[in-house]
Amino acid sequence: MTFLSIVSRGLMRRPVRTGLTMIGIAIGIAAVVALVGMSRGFQTSWTNGLKTRGTDIVVSNMGSALTPKPFAATQADKIKSLPHVAAICTLMVDLISVEKADMMIVSARQWGGFSWGNLKIVSGRLPKDEKEKAVVLGQTAADVLKKKVGDTLQLETDELQVVGIVDGGAIVENGSVILSLSLYQEITGNDGKINVIDLRMTPGTTKEEAAELTERINSLVPEAKAVSAGDNIRNSQGYRIINAMSWGTSLLAVLVGVLGVMNTMLMTVFERRQEICILLAVGWRRGRVVRMILWESALLGFLGGIGGVVLGVIGVKILITAPAIKGLLEPDLNAVLLAQAVVISVVVGVISGLYPGWRSSRLMPSQALHG
Amino acid sequence: MATTNAGDECVFEAIALKKEYDDGQVQALRGVDLRIHTGEFVAIVGQSGSGKSTLLQMLGALDHPSSGQLLYRGKSLEESSDLAAYRAREIGFIFQAFHLLPTFTALENVQIPMFETSRPVAERKTRAMELLKAVGLEKRVHHFPSKLSGGERQRVAIARSLANGASVLLADEPTGNLDSENAGYIMDLIVNLHREHNVTLVMVTHDMGIAHRATRVIAMRDGHIVSDGAGVPSAVS
Repeated sequence: MTFLSIVSRGLMRRPVRTGLTMIGIAIGIAAVVALVGMSRGFQTSWTNGLKTRGTDIVVSNMGSALTPKPFAATQADKIKSLPHVAAICTLMVDLISVEKADMMIVSARQWGGFSWGNLKIVSGRLPKDEKEKAVVLGQTAADVLKKKVGDTLQLETDELQVVGIVDGGAIVENGSVILSLSLYQEITGNDGKINVIDLRMTPGTTKEEAAELTERINSLVPEAKAVSAGDNIRNSQGYRIINAMSWGTSLLAVLVGVLGVMNTMLMTVFERRQEICILLAVGWRRGRVVRMILWESALLGFLGGIGGVVLGVIGVKILITAPAIKGLLEPDLNAVLLAQAVVISVVVGVISGLYPGWRSSRLMPSQALHG
Repeated sequence: MATTNAGDECVFEAIALKKEYDDGQVQALRGVDLRIHTGEFVAIVGQSGSGKSTLLQMLGALDHPSSGQLLYRGKSLEESSDLAAYRAREIGFIFQAFHLLPTFTALENVQIPMFETSRPVAERKTRAMELLKAVGLEKRVHHFPSKLSGGERQRVAIARSLANGASVLLADEPTGNLDSENAGYIMDLIVNLHREHNVTLVMVTHDMGIAHRATRVIAMRDGHIVSDGAGVPSAVS
């Protein structure tokens, strides 16, 4: 018999209570996994979308909203002749309600720009020219909107024809409604406005040269900020707020877990007072008794954490099929996040066991003789 | 006050030992002076509330005296920095209510005190098997306390008390919860252990038949020792 078997036996004394406490922790940890995974997934999906378009640098003004603020399209002219710039493509990217979908990415791209290049036609065709009242839909967007080639799509007040279904190579691209920039500017009354410039650098550009280029762009275009594609979404205040809210909500859920474990462990110490006194009477050191309680609560946290990770992953898989989210993001449930969630759960267990452990260490072994 | 010395070495020496509860409202021990020597079998008798169990708790360092001194082999227990080690290695406890851990088998219960030693896992198990065999429970080692009779439970408790090779056994009414047949068996077992291993045995009992088997009987009343000598004092009998 090992110390761990004593610890696990302690938890098995009250299997129902142990199980319920574990479920409590699991729900808290599932919230951590789901919220943080979704939040990080938003960042990953957005970044992957940029990479798929072949964008190295993004010039935009990521304020507190999830989509960038518009600025004059003429600003792009200042950039395109800079050294190491291979190509630019101006865009207007929006997150708006489209027909029955609460939130849909609308990606309006400069006609002929490189950002059209990654789109593989699954069915139909691309618009004939920038003035054709037509859109192409990413595969997921078509699925969410229940559209096929030939259908019409209501965008703002205009009716546009769906002329193609495309595979954009990334979840954000596949979840987008894609059309020409000039058409969208006309529809939304934003003539001459863009909110993103995708920039592709010449092959062989070094990191230092890229850094120098972003600095020059920032000085030339004060209305926007140039950042590498990977850093784009991280610079968004909106994303930061979402991220902070995810962690905040998660910590609240974890706090509930702490209270649950503490309550269980206090009950355990109270119920097993005599047993603890017997252990002290037969020579167990107080430190060993405290360790036993801490190990029990840590094990409770660990098992709850594992349960929470499983629950969180399943929950996220179900959540992303919801119409409101589908096509917007790909949850980032990487091994580091899942391991972090389990570690948080174990730490929660240990912290919750501190007070009950201290209480147990205050018992006198003579109490074993009473009753 | 007479003492019966079985060996030269003094195992316990109590000097003006007092124990009070509830801020002095209850005086369980009112200045006990006592010497117990190696290999003695001392029975402590007295009515309920006489202080005999409290004295046993003090000897086993289960509780702290309010005042006075208690020496174990010449060293003050109060000044000891490691009372847990004292309880683990020097003392074996046998309780009236057995006090086995209900979620552990007989074999596991006997191993519990050995966690405070450096014995490896396999050795702990072997030692526990040997002890259970010695008390005649080799076929009941995997049974939980709830599946054992009272006599069997007490035998497990005896095996547990010897787990770390204690030189002193402290028994608090060890047959109090047993029928006469089991009580006789348990007493024979404890007395044999005392004789064969020269273990010092201090036993609290109400049973004068058991007290008669001790080499020395201490009678207590109202927290005082009222008689101390060989045989049961007539007043107590």
